Amino acid sequence: MINLAQKEIAHTLGKFIVTAMGVGMLLGIVLIMMGVYRGMVIDAQVLLNDLDVDFWIVQENTLGPFAESSRIHEDLKDTIKVIRGIDKSEGITFQNLQLPSKEGAIRVFAVGFDPFGDISPINPKRLIKGRSINKSHYEMVVSDKTGFKLRDVIRLGRDDYKVVGITHGTVSSGGDPLVYISLKDAQELQFLYSNERIRADRARGINTLNSHIVNAVIATKKSGYDTNIIAKDLRRFKHQSVYTKKQEKTILTKNLIKMASKQIGMFTVILVIVSTIIIALIIYTMTLEKMKEIAIMKLIGIPNSMIIKMIVQETLIMGVLAFISGNIFAHLIYAKFPKRVVLEIPDASMLFIVVIFASILASLVGVKKVISADPSEAIGG
Amino acid sequence: MNAKQAIKVENLVKNFGKGDSFVEVINGASFEVNKGELVALVAPSGAGKTTLLMMIGCVEEPTNGTIWLGEEKIYDNKWLTKETRKIRREKIGFIFQAHYLIPFLNILENITLVPQTNGVSEEESKKIAFELLKYFEIEDKAYAMTSELSGGQNQRAAIARALANKPQIILADEPTAALDSKRSVDVVKMLKKIAIEQDVAVIMVTHDEAMLPLCDRILKIENKQVVSSKIVKDKVIL
Repeated sequence: MINLAQKEIAHTLGKFIVTAMGVGMLLGIVLIMMGVYRGMVIDAQVLLNDLDVDFWIVQENTLGPFAESSRIHEDLKDTIKVIRGIDKSEGITFQNLQLPSKEGAIRVFAVGFDPFGDISPINPKRLIKGRSINKSHYEMVVSDKTGFKLRDVIRLGRDDYKVVGITHGTVSSGGDPLVYISLKDAQELQFLYSNERIRADRARGINTLNSHIVNAVIATKKSGYDTNIIAKDLRRFKHQSVYTKKQEKTILTKNLIKMASKQIGMFTVILVIVSTIIIALIIYTMTLEKMKEIAIMKLIGIPNSMIIKMIVQETLIMGVLAFISGNIFAHLIYAKFPKRVVLEIPDASMLFIVVIFASILASLVGVKKVISADPSEAIGG
Repeated sequence: MNAKQAIKVENLVKNFGKGDSFVEVINGASFEVNKGELVALVAPSGAGKTTLLMMIGCVEEPTNGTIWLGEEKIYDNKWLTKETRKIRREKIGFIFQAHYLIPFLNILENITLVPQTNGVSEEESKKIAFELLKYFEIEDKAYAMTSELSGGQNQRAAIARALANKPQIILADEPTAALDSKRSVDVVKMLKKIAIEQDVAVIMVTHDEAMLPLCDRILKIENKQVVSSKIVKDKVIL
């Protein structure tokens, strides 16, 4: 039996492919949007995974340094270290900094850690050049995204910092490149005021010299101990909140990027609707262009089912071709985006199902036109 | 009902609209056409030629009357079957002013489409199509697209398509209107030949009086009724 859709497509192949590619670009953008969301989720977890700690002890009634301001005393790490089941414990700071460069200020997310401590946030696998920090002061490891090179000197606050290591793929949940400095430097940058301010505070009777503050204390457990039991023990301490690794991940991936994911979700839905409308309009126009042929087919007795099958098949082929070209388009451009874009097969599969459903929906306008076509239009010009 | 009768129409009425827009197009038309006969249907523009052709072709529903197709009564104040499209597909062949072949199918596919839809195998359909193409001397154009053929070749292919389902009746709506006089004569002679050789009734709407002497009979729409005229020695006898 003659496949009318196949014959019609072959007859207008160039036009059909170009049209499908146009729709495909829209679908490619949908894939990119999904990829941006996936990238945000992965970015949010980089630091968390690199630290790989079991507990986050933060200021009471806060969600921790990634979500809101959190300040606790550094010496809490020593108290926590002796709790039954705890293996390692360290203080850590996080802050946004603007690094001066020739191109202007570069916004980074700085992690302050004790270079001589038990827990390091620098994943050796990500260190592509140089070394980690091995001095108490004035050394910095930067992400390659910052554009700094080994031995570059960066002025921060009152001091100069030397770049001793370069990492790759290290970004914060906000997409800012990560830099690593010693805990002492970080505390000074974050908590130590200028000499004038200290003098002014002293005159007011306020002692602001204490910079032994951290944003969180992180801890790992010994093997064989139950995470929830240790967390319960840690929560007995007053003036602090405790989150397990799983809870901290939830805070990062769900709470923090919830709005962003909704935003991206809205864009994705709108783009899918726009794609559906465009496919429907294309199919409608294509159907209008062949109304004479459809009228002739109806006149010579070709059943509606055959003509409808042609329209639906054409729409589905258009959808599939658009999906394929959309994928190719997305894979060609995703690496050029400044933020991480992750294209995943499950997302593409989901989009494929949506495209097929949208194509069937879009074909209905063509089908309606076929059903209403009057065979007598073929007669009498 | 005689065995030679391909179509018989009795008291056919067709009205359009209601109230102020009411138009009576055909009122009590009765005629019959036999197998092997080439009949011209003539009338001034707007007299209802195409409407009559569409009613016979099961495209337009009459208001009243009776239509027999062969020995089968298909209309008696209402369609006696829901499958009017099947009747068209199996028993009627259509030829138009332009060839109206489907442009995205090649000539062979255009001809085999209806037989294949009727359930004839692909192989058998092709056999029928090649016989027709050979008959119309365009066998070498079987795999060509319509855009690659001349107007005359396309019209012959369209006639071949109309014959592919071995119809009882061929309805031709001004098949010579777009052709020069020589080609017009060729097409009408071809229709006459087909009528005799294939034993089908051919009803041809035409405005071209030069074609009338080539027909067996003329059906003329006058005063919303159909009047039949005979042709003797190339002259119309009213």
